[in-house]
Amino acid sequence: MRIVIWFFLSTFSLLAIDAKLTIETDVEQRAKVALLDGSALPEEAIFNLFVSDLKISGHFLVDGTYRTESFEGGTWDGALKSKEYLIKYRYVQSGGAKLDIRLLKASDGTEVFRKRYAINSVAKRPFLVHKAVSDINAVLNYPDISWINRYIVFSKYTAPRRSEIVVADYTFAYQKSVIRGGLNLFPKWADAKQQAFYYTSYTHGLPTLYKLNIYTGQRTKIARSQGMLVCSDVSRDGSRLLLTMAPTGQPDIYEYDLRSGQKRRLTTFSGIDVGAKYAEEEQSIVFVSNRLGYPNIFKKGIGSAAVKQAVYRGRNNNACDAFENKVIYASRESSSVFGANTFNIYLTSLDSPETRPLTTTGSNQFPRFSPDGNVVMYIKQRFGASSVGYVNLQSGATLLFPFEAHRLQSIDW
Amino acid sequence: MYKVFDKKSWIVAIAAVTMVGCGQPAPDGKVNPNNVYDSGTIAGDTVSIDEGRYGDNSGRFNSSSDGFQSLYFGFDSYAITPEMQQMISRDAEVARGHGNAKIRIEGNCDEFGTDEYNYALGLKRAKAVKDALTAEGIPASRMELISYGESNPACTEQTDACFAQNRRVDLRLAR
Repeated sequence: MRIVIWFFLSTFSLLAIDAKLTIETDVEQRAKVALLDGSALPEEAIFNLFVSDLKISGHFLVDGTYRTESFEGGTWDGALKSKEYLIKYRYVQSGGAKLDIRLLKASDGTEVFRKRYAINSVAKRPFLVHKAVSDINAVLNYPDISWINRYIVFSKYTAPRRSEIVVADYTFAYQKSVIRGGLNLFPKWADAKQQAFYYTSYTHGLPTLYKLNIYTGQRTKIARSQGMLVCSDVSRDGSRLLLTMAPTGQPDIYEYDLRSGQKRRLTTFSGIDVGAKYAEEEQSIVFVSNRLGYPNIFKKGIGSAAVKQAVYRGRNNNACDAFENKVIYASRESSSVFGANTFNIYLTSLDSPETRPLTTTGSNQFPRFSPDGNVVMYIKQRFGASSVGYVNLQSGATLLFPFEAHRLQSIDW
Repeated sequence: MYKVFDKKSWIVAIAAVTMVGCGQPAPDGKVNPNNVYDSGTIAGDTVSIDEGRYGDNSGRFNSSSDGFQSLYFGFDSYAITPEMQQMISRDAEVARGHGNAKIRIEGNCDEFGTDEYNYALGLKRAKAVKDALTAEGIPASRMELISYGESNPACTEQTDACFAQNRRVDLRLAR
């Protein structure tokens, strides 16, 4: 059933052209590839993972036909000669999960690349496919797509004052609870290697920021504050944090230097300033404020007093993310106070007022950039169903995966 | 001075150094058929921590207690209205009746917000109540604030009346 839904959503998203973007990658430059399953026990779930990875990379025109063929040897299907490359794979689930891949030139069957991947946890098998596709992409000298190997971390409510923090692959085919029970919120990756994340715990009274190593379980207390305490961004070298804190009950943005232990207050507005993200070589921040009487996106240089409006459209823009000079934000666009509301994701620049919608239907929230800034993730709710969506800003490729997100609290990539 | 490398050794060394970094197979060439066991970056399992013994999901905390009354706010608002002022005065009386006991003021929101903004909105509601109680003569040092954002609903039905119950501030003695 999941496969059927996946196909529906994937196809729907492509036909609907959810994203209106300038497509920077010429379609003719993409490699035409077909997949051949050589597994002793073929299953389309692995095939679907390959297709989604190849598609969202923006570098491949992947044939969506599921085919099986012996893993070793060449191919006898003449129709595949029109492709540039064939990817043969063999998935084995015995003593863990193993995946063999061969990249062949379709014209003459020449083997270009061959590799075996293995992992002890069968549940983690999506990562085998992600790693294989990112390697194939690198072998063919396309721009890096290693973000598909990364974990997503998110928190979701399970009951009043109860939540769960979960790690997942980008398709959400793999999910594992890291912290279950208590009230633990706002997970944020601590470093590029994703060895640890920061999160806010309400478990022992006042909000407390911890850093948790997800492999060893080592937990380090970072800060504690009455009111609220959220780590909204981490500098690229992992040495500085952007925090929303309220030591006197007033939510403002602070920068916390982990090496010196010093906190610096960056905003002093008497209303709401939250959700700061580093931008422009980490020389400025982009954040959400209601200083105009409604939630909107603003920019401020670190060390500068001046605050500048960054977004000039919409009257309720209450979540954003930034990558260098690019900003994505969620805008509430329906007039009804309650019930199903329309939220859309927009892409804009700190250098120009040009703004483009990335979504046009349903409720789209929690916009997040990939670590390289080339892909945008968001959560879509439409017709009572939820899904996680991706838009490749360079190719325009879009994907949607079904995901139970009704009680999603926060998400990071 | 000792001669570390002869001419032949230098050629071999330079060739070896040059070959480092050429591990990536060429796109159009044949590659070594030896399989590569490449589990390094994706091996290892994550921890799983159970904090189920902490917290309380019985619903006992989604309203005021210890004699205090909850205060209810308008949509996306943290303004104290004249109608709310009467309840603030009553809560101030209750606070005085508890001597110097510490009071916890908890801000809450409906589900129509995202991410951090909702938690800040809940906090602004809690702070508005704290400021109003301070104006009634309750020492600020007796009060602590916390925002639960949308995490602590009093009602979970999808109705306007239900959502209105969640845009509230609860008060209780801090324990």
